[in-house]
Amino acid sequence: MICVAQPFRAARAGVGRPEGLRYTCLFALATLGFAPGAAANDTITLIHGIRVGHHTLAERPTGCTVILVDNGAVAGIAQRGAAPGTRETDLLQSTNAAERVNGIVLSGGSAFGLDAANGAARWLDERRAGIATPDARVPIVPAAVLIDLWVGGKPRVRPNADCGYRAAAHASRRPVVEGSVGAGAGATVGKLLGRDHAMKGGIGSASITLPNGLQVAAIVAVNALGDVVDPHSGAIVAGARADAGTFADARRLLRSGASTVLSALPAENTTIAVVATNARLTKTSVTRIAQMADAGFARAIVPVHTIADGDTVFALATGTWRGTADVTAIGAAAADQVAAAIVRAVRQATSAGGVVAARDLPQ
Amino acid sequence: MRYCSAMKRSALSLACIAAAGAALAAQSPSHASSGLTAVEGIKVGHHTLAERPTGCTVILVDGDAVGGVSQRGGAPGTRETDLLNPLNMVDKVNAVVLSGGSAFGLEAATGTVRWLEEHNIGWPAGPSKVPIVPAAILFDLGVGGNPKIRPTADCGYKAADAATAGPVQEGTVGAGAGATVGKLDGPNKSMKSGLGTASISLPNGLVVAAIVAVNAVGDIIDPANGQVVAGVRNPDGTLADARKILRAGGTMQRPRAGENTTIGLVATNARLGKALATRMALMADDGYARAISPSHTNGDGDTIFSLATGRWDGNADITTIGALAAEAMADAVVRAATQATGAAGIPAARDLKR
Repeated sequence: MICVAQPFRAARAGVGRPEGLRYTCLFALATLGFAPGAAANDTITLIHGIRVGHHTLAERPTGCTVILVDNGAVAGIAQRGAAPGTRETDLLQSTNAAERVNGIVLSGGSAFGLDAANGAARWLDERRAGIATPDARVPIVPAAVLIDLWVGGKPRVRPNADCGYRAAAHASRRPVVEGSVGAGAGATVGKLLGRDHAMKGGIGSASITLPNGLQVAAIVAVNALGDVVDPHSGAIVAGARADAGTFADARRLLRSGASTVLSALPAENTTIAVVATNARLTKTSVTRIAQMADAGFARAIVPVHTIADGDTVFALATGTWRGTADVTAIGAAAADQVAAAIVRAVRQATSAGGVVAARDLPQ
Repeated sequence: MRYCSAMKRSALSLACIAAAGAALAAQSPSHASSGLTAVEGIKVGHHTLAERPTGCTVILVDGDAVGGVSQRGGAPGTRETDLLNPLNMVDKVNAVVLSGGSAFGLEAATGTVRWLEEHNIGWPAGPSKVPIVPAAILFDLGVGGNPKIRPTADCGYKAADAATAGPVQEGTVGAGAGATVGKLDGPNKSMKSGLGTASISLPNGLVVAAIVAVNAVGDIIDPANGQVVAGVRNPDGTLADARKILRAGGTMQRPRAGENTTIGLVATNARLGKALATRMALMADDGYARAISPSHTNGDGDTIFSLATGRWDGNADITTIGALAAEAMADAVVRAATQATGAAGIPAARDLKR
């Protein structure tokens, strides 16, 4: 795909919307594998102005995912896991000044992977996107990382600025590719009994459009200590496997007091997400959306928010829809879509680095 | 009954009558429910007002415990929660009060403080001992008539005086007396919930338990199977399922800030520092997310306190303790709905047609 970016100035001066870029994109059909519009987009790129790009490293299952917002979006955060790796999250506090972000980077590679955001910022800088200051436009790119250094050997291979630049360059409005790609390439779940009993995590996305035009969507890179549970049924989708290859069931293990690896657990986890809505929200309200969206983690991952998870949710409000919706309705939908995206992440994942995926389990 | 004999020390026999009435109404089986008092050193007492379904619940710590809090709902009513910040000095809690009556109900903690001072319990501060009593309230002023009736200091005093280490009475009692759920379509479609408690004891001696007064905007969901236990009702009285309403973009009334709030407490016999006790409260909050949908809305002041008594000196990882706290909390939320009895014309789960 080829995108041509054009600087764009808000039609009405002084409306408070930052200037940004318009993109004219030519889709290279051969690389798509399907014609645009052939499949209904039920991922986060359904929301106008949101583009997503992955870059997956060839040397080891790891990578990064860049979520770009044309013209920026009001943003908030919920950071509830105990072992986070993040950047620009202070800026998102509702008491601080900056209102809009230009993109969010999710990356593998633990704290090293924060470098990916530098590449995305460079890509935005080259296109003159960012918050206007007297001297330059400064791209605002919060980021969060997950740890996948043990997957596939070669822990020195991790996403760097080049990864973030390439992912940004690849970002498009096509339906998000899910599974073992981008920030989810090296993600794993079900580590309560140790790495040997883990299953493959990944990246998933889900969206909903209400009859009134309100859209709410999520993208999640799932790398949890816990099992992934389908909240509709309570059934495990992927998680710690017993020696027989069946699910050990983290909930049962924890309630029985069975010996687990918890006492000597390194921080080898973290689930990171972005939720987005086309509603017009204040920074305070979008922070509440992030907090409510975090309930999707609790519903689809057991246990979650542990001392060994750095769980973080970013929320974006693009404001292109002018209807009115209550924060509760948007937040509840966000939690719903986060849970759905988590389940999709592990259903779409493919085995990698010797870690088996749900689709490869014997039926 | 034990509840009443404990009350004889208090001045008003009204309290005893109210408690007995609530016990009868709740039809609670007298089985030794393994609730919050499964944690050694924790006592629980309720006081339920006779005039209107409201009341308060006091969790007393025999000795003291390290405390924490997770406050994630958008419309809280609390006291002494800054003190629980791990950066702040005081690291012991003597009691926690959960109360109905909205912000007025914070007064209940004053009565508990008085009771503790009379028993010479508190944080040593020069010549005095200052009782440390965090509290949170829920909004039930719209239930059962006169909103001027709310728990006062007298309620907190009597509940403290009634506290025992015996099985905890559940349902429409104490802080849960006026609690309702399923208010996504307004109060007329709501259902009665109440107060619930649950505990988990591991073979190694670790005990984690929860108590909660459930007064949510959302529906109560059993996380084991995804089924609605109590929540917003259709005109024919059947459960509508808040999740379906929200996904369909169906008409719903905007939850009014301050008319809800689920308040709870988790306790363990493990030894935790203040920061880990805070992490325990934060993880216990996942029990709300699993058993209440939607949860943590702008119209909910959802708050969870945590207590670590340190009476068990075994080793347990905070992830185990926090995960069990979330499990126990979800169990307690479901029990709050299943144990509740209808009040003020609002039906409970047990009143629904099968």
